Amino acid sequence: MAQAPVRSGIADNELAFKYLLIAPAIFILLLIGLYPFVKLIVVSFQNISMFDDIRSFQGFIHYERLFEDVRLWESLLHTALFTLVALPIELVLGYLLALLFLQKLPFKQILVAVILLPIVIAPIVAGSTWRLMLDQRFGPINQVIGWFAGGDVKLLWTVDPLLVWPAIMIAEVWQWTPFMFLILLAALSNVDQEQLEAAEMDGASRWMTFRKIILPAIAPVMFIAVLIRALDLFRLFDVIWTMTQGGPGTRTETISIYAYQMAFREFEISYSAAIAFLVIFVLTVVVVLALRRVEVAR
Amino acid sequence: MKRWDKGWRLALRTAIAVFAAVLFLFPIYWLAAISIKSPDEIFAYPPVWVPGGFDISSYITLFRDGDAWAVWHSLVTAGVSTVLAMLFGTLAAYSIVRYRTGGDNLAIWIISQRMIPPICIAFPVFLLFVSWQIVDTYTGLILLYTAFNIPYVTWMMRGYLQEIPLELEQSALVDGLSRWAVLWKVVLPMARAGLFATAVFTFIFAWNEFLFALILTGSEVVTYTVKVTGYFGSQSTFWSKIGAMSMLGVLPMIFVVGTMQRFIVRGISMGAVKG
Amino acid sequence: MKSILIARRAFLASAAGAVAIVAGTLPALAQSAADRAVEAAKQYSGTTINVLYEAGLQPLDPKNFTGPMWEELTGIKVNVIESPLPEIFTKTMQAHRAGSGAYDVLNVVPNQMPDLALAGALEPLDAYVEKYGFADELQTIAPVYRDNQMKVEGKIYGFPDDGDTLVLYYRKDLFEDPENQAEFKAKYGYDLGPPQTWEQFGEIGQFMTDKYAPEIYGAGLLRQPGNAQYMFQERFRTEGGEFFDEETMKATVNSEAGLKVFNQMLEENKWMPPGVEQWGFIEAFNALLAGDIAMTVSWPPVGRWAAGYGKGTEALSWIPETTVADKIGYALPPGNNPELAVGFSLGVASGSKNKEAAYLFIQWMNSEDISIQRVQLPYALRDPFRDSHFTNEEYRSRWSNADEYLDTLKAGAESGLLDLSLLQTDRYEEGLRQAISSLWGGDDPQTILDDLAGQWDELTERIGVDEQRRVYSDWASKPNAYPN
Repeated sequence: MAQAPVRSGIADNELAFKYLLIAPAIFILLLIGLYPFVKLIVVSFQNISMFDDIRSFQGFIHYERLFEDVRLWESLLHTALFTLVALPIELVLGYLLALLFLQKLPFKQILVAVILLPIVIAPIVAGSTWRLMLDQRFGPINQVIGWFAGGDVKLLWTVDPLLVWPAIMIAEVWQWTPFMFLILLAALSNVDQEQLEAAEMDGASRWMTFRKIILPAIAPVMFIAVLIRALDLFRLFDVIWTMTQGGPGTRTETISIYAYQMAFREFEISYSAAIAFLVIFVLTVVVVLALRRVEVAR
Repeated sequence: MKRWDKGWRLALRTAIAVFAAVLFLFPIYWLAAISIKSPDEIFAYPPVWVPGGFDISSYITLFRDGDAWAVWHSLVTAGVSTVLAMLFGTLAAYSIVRYRTGGDNLAIWIISQRMIPPICIAFPVFLLFVSWQIVDTYTGLILLYTAFNIPYVTWMMRGYLQEIPLELEQSALVDGLSRWAVLWKVVLPMARAGLFATAVFTFIFAWNEFLFALILTGSEVVTYTVKVTGYFGSQSTFWSKIGAMSMLGVLPMIFVVGTMQRFIVRGISMGAVKG
Repeated sequence: MKSILIARRAFLASAAGAVAIVAGTLPALAQSAADRAVEAAKQYSGTTINVLYEAGLQPLDPKNFTGPMWEELTGIKVNVIESPLPEIFTKTMQAHRAGSGAYDVLNVVPNQMPDLALAGALEPLDAYVEKYGFADELQTIAPVYRDNQMKVEGKIYGFPDDGDTLVLYYRKDLFEDPENQAEFKAKYGYDLGPPQTWEQFGEIGQFMTDKYAPEIYGAGLLRQPGNAQYMFQERFRTEGGEFFDEETMKATVNSEAGLKVFNQMLEENKWMPPGVEQWGFIEAFNALLAGDIAMTVSWPPVGRWAAGYGKGTEALSWIPETTVADKIGYALPPGNNPELAVGFSLGVASGSKNKEAAYLFIQWMNSEDISIQRVQLPYALRDPFRDSHFTNEEYRSRWSNADEYLDTLKAGAESGLLDLSLLQTDRYEEGLRQAISSLWGGDDPQTILDDLAGQWDELTERIGVDEQRRVYSDWASKPNAYPN
């Protein structure tokens, strides 16, 4: 293929171009993010709380405290477990739904719009609504279960330690499966039709088609969606706060709820800064590892 | 495949799709019902499924008291920040995908902005905004939401752009198009489905955001999430208003999602995956 | 109602006008505190003051009543900023730390006043009280609020503005029913009446549930941890418990008294409506109005609204029809030491740029003349807090047994118990909230209490045993900290 003349001086053009493209984004991120981030680092080495305003370097006292703080590690554990259970559920359900909607369907646009509605309800309201719907007395869910069980049931979804996580899971999965659904729908729509038809004509099984053609095509998007969702699940706050406030005891306390208690209620500014760094560190490690695996797999 | 066989499968698929839609719709229906229920019905035991009357007084109250403005504030902040985030984020994504700008480190740094629990930086951001005097202003919230969504847009579009074959761009370059033209005329149209999907969610994230809005607004640009939370009082819960406000909040979203998803779904039906 | 308020407003305005004319010739003491405030505030006409209020019904007071009236009288605009209750403390502190000057008038929860005052977020008000002669009217606030919700370490930081106290509401018709009385006396040996002890509460509740369930249950209490922690504070002390050993500052919340209260609460849940562990203010309130429960313990607005007061007002349109108007009796909770739960004091932010204007507004709001009107607003969440409120003839005739209601509130204001107030009280309360939610979750009560005591001890260590002892002793020495 002959080189077109426009390619001369390509080095300069390309350089300028690629930096120009990314400059506005970086600028805004730095504008808003730099100061808070730096302040967070600085504060984590000071001693700022409700009464103390000690700005001198305090060493690593807050970081040391992190390691001794059992409640912190429990909340991290809760968060990680919850993420690891909720995410696959949302992914699989979203994928199955997306498959369903790829095919011919009457009223498709209306149905898609309806399915997307949960995401549009503010999480605070979603949590509160589920709290009301799961109420023993005023909610329809227990009523419906009672119909199937043949009598009144007593299920205290937000009080019983065995039911609290399922309750939160239901609310969360309900709200965010549509996210996966739409993302995957868009991704699946770009899968190369010719390849699929060729595979079908060759008699390839459904599973082979999925593994060899579909999965590689949607992998980049799916990976990002999973990553975004995982990061959001990790910061989960609204739904849990409205349903259980981290209770019973601290059984459903996630890292965000704990950070909220520390930063907002107890005004332990410095300690919560240290917590923030722990979270960032953990997540960065996870993300980097995940990235490497994906890059290697490709 | 026999005709009735195909029809049967279609019916089954439709049934499942409708069932799923009903499941997802139910809590929203419950909220909508609450917005028109009488106070007795909201806390009736056993629960009332279909409201007896059609009491829209809450809606009227929201408009009359000016609470409905909160929906407008949310629209403006979410809308403008989405446009900005989509613009800057997509360009950044293209730069990363095509030219590996900044390598992995930059990409990771960008996504790390989404790792920080908002609670931890809420106060430093507040301090920053106080010093810039943009607390409780459109500017402040829009800037913040743009910054918070750029990582999402960048990474999502990175994924969608990676799906686009390089050959398309290269042949366009060979045909004499400038890089900008290649981006606007070739690449982005191909990624249209992804663009719309990303835009929808960017808007939704800004729309649903609560914590920063709580900290950074006072009385001027109170967004709808903060307003709704105010209806949960310690000695009062305005469920009817909560329901009505939520419905008001859902309406623009239905519009946004409705128009956007047409572009996504259309792309699909042009080449349906058989099965 | 509105016409009465408008007429009152006009009356006040003209009265203020009349007084102003007369004041020119009489010494200043002839003026009421409210009028003095109005006069002095006129020099700030045109400014806007920002007032921070708990979201919900509370802001209706400054938005619909005091704000417009104040503007008319002085030309100062009142801008209301609403915040959910749990966030008020946070927003106050953050504004203080950032030096943003965002708020002028603050609503302060009294047991958080030490924290805010010592952190420097509140403006000391003594000088203003002196300058504008408010000391007399401060004196006529009911003693329990006046002596405990106003000062920190001897300085005035807020004006008590809300007589929150937990009251027992019971179905007089069920209690006075002759058949019930006969049956109850036969079974338990004493007369059926408002329970004097928690044991009696249990027996009466069981009796009612046995007879009437599932239409009516004996009682429905506020069991949600956020509310229940106040009940625990009350019952624990009524049983003789003490929060701390004053010498060592070790928490003694896991004493026998604590265990007894926990066990009693568990027992009571058995005859209360299923799911009562999830009940907050709204659920209990609705149940009472619907006639589903025979007793409850809750805040004063319940008494007003159950009697149908304010019915038809738009602000209260979210309240269901009361089926129990004229059937509700009022009494102090068993033990006769009601918890003075939450409450509000009006304060001025130390970072305010309009301190004097803000101060004058709160003096005016808190004054005898204006406060009596405010507590009678149908949508008021501010409950009577001045001696004069309890004896006010107009209030006492607002519904059939409003006089009984006010008498009960007054009795509560005498024997009531203060919320625990320490340095960083919220952290201790948070531990208590979690303990209660663990209790509903089925953990062993003694273990929960032991853990709580351990948690509290850790907190005290971290905050500083000596500092905390100082604040705790100061609080514990107040007559209403522990029952006498």
